[in-house]
Amino acid sequence: MTAEIRTSDGELLSVKLKKVERRRRTTAFLLAAPLLFFIVFAYVIPIFQMLGRSIDNAEMNSFLTETHEVMQTWDGSEMPGEDVTSTFYYELKTAVENKYHGKIATRLNYEKGGFTSLIKKTSRKLKNFDENANFLDQFIDVHKKWGDIEYWQALKRGTDAYHFRKYLTTFDYEQKFDGSIERIPEKLRINVTLWLRTIFVAVGVTFCCFILAYPISHLLSILPTRYSNLLMICVLLPFWTSLLVRTSSWMVLLQKQGVLNDTLVSLGFVADESRLELMYNMTGTFIAMTQILLPFMVLPLYSVMKTISPSLMRAATSMGATPFHAFRKIYFPLTYAGISAGSILVFVLAIGYYITPALVGGAKGILISNRIAYHMQQSLDWSLATAMATVLLIAVLVVYWLYNKIVGIDNMRLG
Amino acid sequence: MSRLTKLISLAALLVAPSMATAAEVNVVSWGGAYTESQKLGYGDPYQEMSGVQVNWIDYSGGLSEIKAQVESGAITWDIIDVYARDTIIGCDEGLFVEFDFDNDFPAGVNGMKASDDFFAPMPSDCAVGNILYSWNYAYNTDNVNFDGNYPDSMEDFFNPDKYPGVRSIYSSAMSNLEFALVADGVPASDVYDYMEDNGIDRALDKLTELCTNPKGGCIFWSAGAQPPEQLVSGEAIMATGWNGRHFNAIVNEGSPMKMVWDGQILDYEYFVLVKGGPNQEEAMKALQYFTSSEGLAGSAKHIAYAPFRISSLDVIMADEPWFYSEQAGAVEIMPHMPTAPANTKNYVLMNPEWYADNNTEINDAWEAWKANL
Repeated sequence: MTAEIRTSDGELLSVKLKKVERRRRTTAFLLAAPLLFFIVFAYVIPIFQMLGRSIDNAEMNSFLTETHEVMQTWDGSEMPGEDVTSTFYYELKTAVENKYHGKIATRLNYEKGGFTSLIKKTSRKLKNFDENANFLDQFIDVHKKWGDIEYWQALKRGTDAYHFRKYLTTFDYEQKFDGSIERIPEKLRINVTLWLRTIFVAVGVTFCCFILAYPISHLLSILPTRYSNLLMICVLLPFWTSLLVRTSSWMVLLQKQGVLNDTLVSLGFVADESRLELMYNMTGTFIAMTQILLPFMVLPLYSVMKTISPSLMRAATSMGATPFHAFRKIYFPLTYAGISAGSILVFVLAIGYYITPALVGGAKGILISNRIAYHMQQSLDWSLATAMATVLLIAVLVVYWLYNKIVGIDNMRLG
Repeated sequence: MSRLTKLISLAALLVAPSMATAAEVNVVSWGGAYTESQKLGYGDPYQEMSGVQVNWIDYSGGLSEIKAQVESGAITWDIIDVYARDTIIGCDEGLFVEFDFDNDFPAGVNGMKASDDFFAPMPSDCAVGNILYSWNYAYNTDNVNFDGNYPDSMEDFFNPDKYPGVRSIYSSAMSNLEFALVADGVPASDVYDYMEDNGIDRALDKLTELCTNPKGGCIFWSAGAQPPEQLVSGEAIMATGWNGRHFNAIVNEGSPMKMVWDGQILDYEYFVLVKGGPNQEEAMKALQYFTSSEGLAGSAKHIAYAPFRISSLDVIMADEPWFYSEQAGAVEIMPHMPTAPANTKNYVLMNPEWYADNNTEINDAWEAWKANL
């Protein structure tokens, strides 16, 4: 029989232990609570709210609720009947009185071009309508576009309370009125090209960073501290400079009459007429982005290499391995954690880049993030912007998931 | 008296003097040399004349900020300098005051009533014209490729075989489509009619020819300061841009550049009055002065954008050289105006409604074109 162990105040030890443990956990949680609340309220909730916009069309639906309901029975094969047109007329009239017809016009314009002027012109002429006559004819009299059935079809789908069409647009597909899904006309296809280009740039920059960062990190890790500190400052220096300043400096260096070309010409490597095209193309994008993201590769690699004992390599060579063989079999595998951490960091940062490529990349410098910014700031089609952003977020999460599967997140060393 | 009330009354005492000062008007515009020209041209003179303080606030366009102010009921802006498209949308959404044009705005010095004196009809009831500016192109006169033979038409811009060298064009579709159609032989006044009818494809084909020609090639600018920089650095041999920026580079910085006006696009800028603004009455008076013949002529003293009123040109012409800057001294400004007779032989009038309507299609087609260059 085991005696129950009690503490000095007579409590069971196991109970007391649990209590202490609980108190410790509460304290820890309370300490972290401000940060947690901050992240949840200032980051997680707004993000999900924003992402919700990609399918949410409730406001538009509330503007034209009845029209939308009446349209449910309309199959879209021929022009809508008077039940639809009259409901639409009265709801548009309310909209004009309450001054939200401008919103209706811009939203419907995302569904089909031409709606802005169509709604505006119709709104202006609405007071001249005879409420006893045929509404469709009067609509067509105001603007011949009302005679085009596609506008009525767009009106029906544009007033759905929620929809997933923006996700189709993200990949250059569209849903026809009969429900079939087709690719959009070739001349308007842009997003798939940009997705592929974004991935290409992100992978390419990650690779360039790896090639450049590996020897630097190795050097950093074997140099005596006083030299390695100096080198480390050189690596970190870009961190202390604003992104725009760095990008602009690259423009000064790389342009046709820039420092680099001038030097090459004066040294006689390049003829004056055939100066190198280093900017406003992919070359410029790669050079600038690699330089900007390099520290994110160097730091994890350095932190891993620092822990590798030099004796391991010596042991390998003493047992007859060539330096290359020892590197391949011993040193390189030991740096996997650093490589993967650096790669995932650089890749994730690169996939969301847009200012630098837009400035130095010329026509080829448009990436998917530029389109997101465009739809957020210029076209104001926030649902499309958030649909694209959601896809981008999922893509990053997939990369993270793959990484966790293959390498394991516990092995990540960030420095 | 509790401590709190003491504090509040103290605060009130401190705030009261600033509230009691003379009326002020907050004017919102695009900043830089442009706002400077407005401030010197009519803001400061009005302030001196009326005793009403005119404050200038910078913004980067768009209606999102004023919409937020109106919705939250905390309006601080009185007058805004906006694009045509935004006067339409803002008016539709009830953000701006609708004018009774001829009663609200004085006749010109030439005696013409306001609606006739302004160069073009207003795009909405809430707009009053401010300036006309131009999209045109300029070239670097020092570039060896010209060899004494300089371009003088929009066709030349699109002819890299005759004038080899890289072109710098705007990074969005706006202006490029128009220029391409004009260069392709479409009469400038009919450009937007052609746009409706396959014109975008035609324009893009023309641009493809230019940008893929080994003797040509295109780079893109997005900020107004870029075209002159690219011309001077030799990055481009010709560049489209805003005439005020080209003018500034030529006159104030002495850059070896020349503008070509053939096929230029005339575009407008407007003032609107915010409905329910803090000083609406004072703001209306200020606006009347700003947009008077003398007011609009005033800003042309400092920048090469044309006043919207025809009578303002009379004011300027009576007193040439009108323009003045420290670097260049006094300069005759009339020949540099986008509306000068010599510059308007062949011009396109910007159609904001077409852009508002076809925004999505134009932009998608444009970006797809750029992506596949």
